[in-house]
Amino acid sequence: MFTTSAAPPTGAVRHGPLWTRAFHAFNLVVLVVMGASGLQIYNANPVFGGRGGITVPELFTLGGWLAGGRDWHFGFMGLYAANLGLWIGLLLRRRHRRLAAVGDVGTLRASGNPPKRRLAAHRITYTLMLIVLAFSLITGLAMYKPAQFWWLVALFSFAEGAGHDSWQVLRISHLATIPAIALLLGAHVALSWRVGGLRLLRSMFV
Amino acid sequence: MSSPADGLGRRQALGLLMGGGSSLLLGGCALNGLSEAVGEATQPLNERIEALLQGRGAVPEFDRRQVQPEALLVNSFNGTPRIAPDAYRLAVRGLVRRPLNLDLAALAALPQRECVMRHVCVEGWAAIVAWSGPRLADVLALADPSPLGAYLAIRSADQYFETWDLVSALHPQTLLATHMNGAPLPVANGAPVRLASPIKLGYKLSKWVTGLELTARLGDRLGTWEDRGYEWFAGL
Repeated sequence: MFTTSAAPPTGAVRHGPLWTRAFHAFNLVVLVVMGASGLQIYNANPVFGGRGGITVPELFTLGGWLAGGRDWHFGFMGLYAANLGLWIGLLLRRRHRRLAAVGDVGTLRASGNPPKRRLAAHRITYTLMLIVLAFSLITGLAMYKPAQFWWLVALFSFAEGAGHDSWQVLRISHLATIPAIALLLGAHVALSWRVGGLRLLRSMFV
Repeated sequence: MSSPADGLGRRQALGLLMGGGSSLLLGGCALNGLSEAVGEATQPLNERIEALLQGRGAVPEFDRRQVQPEALLVNSFNGTPRIAPDAYRLAVRGLVRRPLNLDLAALAALPQRECVMRHVCVEGWAAIVAWSGPRLADVLALADPSPLGAYLAIRSADQYFETWDLVSALHPQTLLATHMNGAPLPVANGAPVRLASPIKLGYKLSKWVTGLELTARLGDRLGTWEDRGYEWFAGL
């Protein structure tokens, strides 16, 4: 923060406010914990293949065994939800600048101005991230308390006519948020890199 | 101020952060030892929310045609005990004014209730099952329970052990099931008597139940799996 004062030498990194950086890093930690502990839970009974199914390498899991994975997953879910709530609150307050609008899709289609296109793509990425995270929260809640949130489970019974039980649809949907958020995270890092490279990365971390 | 030393510190910190991040991703093993501490720190709050969420009313049930017999996997921690139906007795003990030894005829004489519910395993799989038998609440009422009772300990023929909060045990859909999907309970699923309830995870639903004990508080043992690290409340 102090580097922003009085004529910084060229090459010095302009840091974001401390709370922004802390919040940003905290987001990453919570995401990794939720993803890795979720994969640990996956391994107890793989969504694809059941008991004979292929498990995720231990490298990507957190908890050591099912109960340990559940400790982390349910220990961090409150932080995860609070985090997401804060994000949505922040973005709604600054909606005009940060959240995607229909115009962004038009920009991507029609604009020949690369920075403008990147900004539009980035806003769409942020917004999709929030949607994916909220979706993971909803599908997770439905499986955590299926008796109390039976109506939430019922929303996932749309494929029952085709022989896909709502529970299996829920499990696949919840799991699918991991590759989805990984892709969006990749897009976010790539887009940020195009804008500011290592300097921007450092301004958001250290 | 941005002195060179300051920049070096930041660069080191960046390295640390990246190293730390990748070790979290790649070497979760180092953190596995913390799992229990994380659970212990957060479960009291989670349990409060769970108890708050857990309604005392009935959970909506499925249609009998929706049962999924092939989806119900069999878990057992200590083999499959075989109990001769004639020799079977259910002991009801603890804070009750009339301790009982009930045979299967006594259980069959109670009002029978069917519950078509989603049976959810802690492992992640689930199956819709129609369990039927007397309500656990009706069985306990026969023994004239003391109002001091707050927890129920459940013993099984295979030495499986469970403890429940009494509110969940007295839930109208918590059954001592003797039948599954309209047929007598198969031995692998807990014959002759097992617990069934739509408001608890599968590991709370003891098979081969032989003893109920009403207690005022929880003892040292919470349950076979709970003592190894699973959550105790395990409400759905």
